[in-house]
Amino acid sequence: MSKLYINPLPVRLWHWANAVLFIVLVVTGVQIRYLDLFDFMSFRNAVVVHNWVAFALIGNFFVWLLFYLFSDKNKAYHPEFNILKLARACFAQMQYYGYGIFKGEHSPHHMDPYNKFNPLQRMLYQILMLFLLPLQFITGILMWDIKRFSGFVDMVGGVRVVDTVHVLIFIFFVFYLLIHPYLATLGHTPTAHIKAMITGYEDVEDETPAAVQATQAPA
Amino acid sequence: MTRIRISQAAADLPRRGRPLLGAALALALTLFLGAPAAAAVSKDTALSSEDKVCLDCHAKPGLRKTLANGESMPLYIAPNGFAESVHNSSGCEGCHSDIDVKAHSKEPKLVKSKREHSQGLMEACRDCHKKTMKQYEDSVHSAQVQAGSAKAPLCSDCHDPHATRSAKDTTGGDNVACQQCHKGVSQAFAASIHGASGDEALACKDCHRTHNIKAAAMGNHLKDQCVSCHREVATSHAQWLPNTARHLEAISCPACHSPGTTRRVNLRIYEGTAAAQQAAEKVGVPQFIKLANTADPKGSGIDGRALWSLLQDFSRNGSDTRTIVRGRLEVQTGIESHSLAAKGTALKDCATCHKQGAASFQKVTVSMAGPDGRPLRHGATDGILNSIESIGSVGGFYTIGSSRIKLLDIMLVMALGAGILIPGGHLVVKLMSARKRKAAAAAEAAQAFKSNESTDRS
Repeated sequence: MSKLYINPLPVRLWHWANAVLFIVLVVTGVQIRYLDLFDFMSFRNAVVVHNWVAFALIGNFFVWLLFYLFSDKNKAYHPEFNILKLARACFAQMQYYGYGIFKGEHSPHHMDPYNKFNPLQRMLYQILMLFLLPLQFITGILMWDIKRFSGFVDMVGGVRVVDTVHVLIFIFFVFYLLIHPYLATLGHTPTAHIKAMITGYEDVEDETPAAVQATQAPA
Repeated sequence: MTRIRISQAAADLPRRGRPLLGAALALALTLFLGAPAAAAVSKDTALSSEDKVCLDCHAKPGLRKTLANGESMPLYIAPNGFAESVHNSSGCEGCHSDIDVKAHSKEPKLVKSKREHSQGLMEACRDCHKKTMKQYEDSVHSAQVQAGSAKAPLCSDCHDPHATRSAKDTTGGDNVACQQCHKGVSQAFAASIHGASGDEALACKDCHRTHNIKAAAMGNHLKDQCVSCHREVATSHAQWLPNTARHLEAISCPACHSPGTTRRVNLRIYEGTAAAQQAAEKVGVPQFIKLANTADPKGSGIDGRALWSLLQDFSRNGSDTRTIVRGRLEVQTGIESHSLAAKGTALKDCATCHKQGAASFQKVTVSMAGPDGRPLRHGATDGILNSIESIGSVGGFYTIGSSRIKLLDIMLVMALGAGILIPGGHLVVKLMSARKRKAAAAAEAAQAFKSNESTDRS
């Protein structure tokens, strides 16, 4: 068993800030959309909080973006262009989560600071961080001041189209917020991944030469 | 019937046959008597000898003429009223030049109806009031006349040509002419904040203008009128209203400022996304009614898909640009739009509109400008604002909460279910298989121990 420095400080700060802001956005978003069902706060306050927190989230996104733009650890997000290899790796990971994990098998993914995501995570985070989240920011900003951006809003089909995209991504994020904490407990111990996002260090069972090297020189 | 004034062009009237003596007398009276009603005295109130000849007969109160349609048209002209009117200077012949004085009483002129008579004499008005007539012809009233309306006002319906005073001599606040046709609206207005404010009360023309009156339900010209006085609207609303500009664009002022009003969503058809004006029917080409009836054969209202087809048909039928819909929340009647109340009573509760099932969103109509300038409307189905099918057709209108798409709600419930059931199911299987896993781990450890031992022995 050895420790790997998987999550540098900027990533941890970004992650937890992101988590808090996400939850506030979901709560206020639900209040805005379902005024007939919930009464956490007034509609107007929900809108105002939603707008301010959304801008904080956009700012926080740039913490993540700038860190990875200037860090060689961005390899964790590099796409795998060999489709066959990607498909095999994804299938192996799905097989592990769907079957092997119950039999006590080891995860086919071997973590290291430059490859901290398993193939499924890598693909998900590529879509999430580079497509869904920016798209959510754009649709949110358009609705923040519809009149100011009316030319662009009309061009993409109107405010209803923009809102529908925003809500579809919101629905995905709601699903993600429920799945993500559970998946975080599927490390070699239930708290391994969670501790790693607090301390930065993850206990790993198999030591690879690359991992040893990384442990000696943390980022 | 009291007749009125108005009139921009009164000062431009040619003063035909003004006797110099009259002018000199008026000047003398003004200078020496110093009467407060200088304007009145400065007028030439003397009747010409030609006019007196006409009035020999037409000053008899009972004088009437039976027209071809059976109507009885009064031919009485009050001499004093005419003498004091601005048209005195033109004389009878100024407008009635077609009358041959010698043959007039011997060969009665055939007149079909009062309206036809009045309509014919509008050309006489045009001789002097060219600019005003041009404005009138650009109005909804004129458009209605052109479209064959038997009620839309002609010049003489608002102005008594034989008693018209100069605009300078009128108070400018008189709404009597409008009240003749718009009685309910006038009563509502009189009780409103704008109608009941004493000397500062507005007149109809202050918002609707006098001759170039546009259909109230079309465009945004009336909102512009509100903003022309209430210039602080954008900043005052921005202090509490998120997305102020959008609210001001998509909601008519009375929708919030007329308490207790009933609202509706008006899906207005526009040609092109950049177009400022609503699409309008061409005279004699009743596309909207025809296409709307085709889209809604049962008469139960246009739904999202039918509206999409309707817009496609419009785009195909000669429009250069894409035809789209923009929504507006507005009051349902003209009476409600004139019942504006004090600022403090205005609607400020977001839930009135943003809660699902909000009364304001239960009535939806689709509209475009008719050939007479007024909106043509066709009802929409109840669910048009909440249907996934409306994404394309009603893309230009959306209200958070109240017009949310039901399918997205179902998807959210499914996402919640999946987000709970998938991890929950996985956890249950994981707990159930914990023994097997422990046994496998023990076997693995034992195997590792054995292999270590054999390695040590060797």
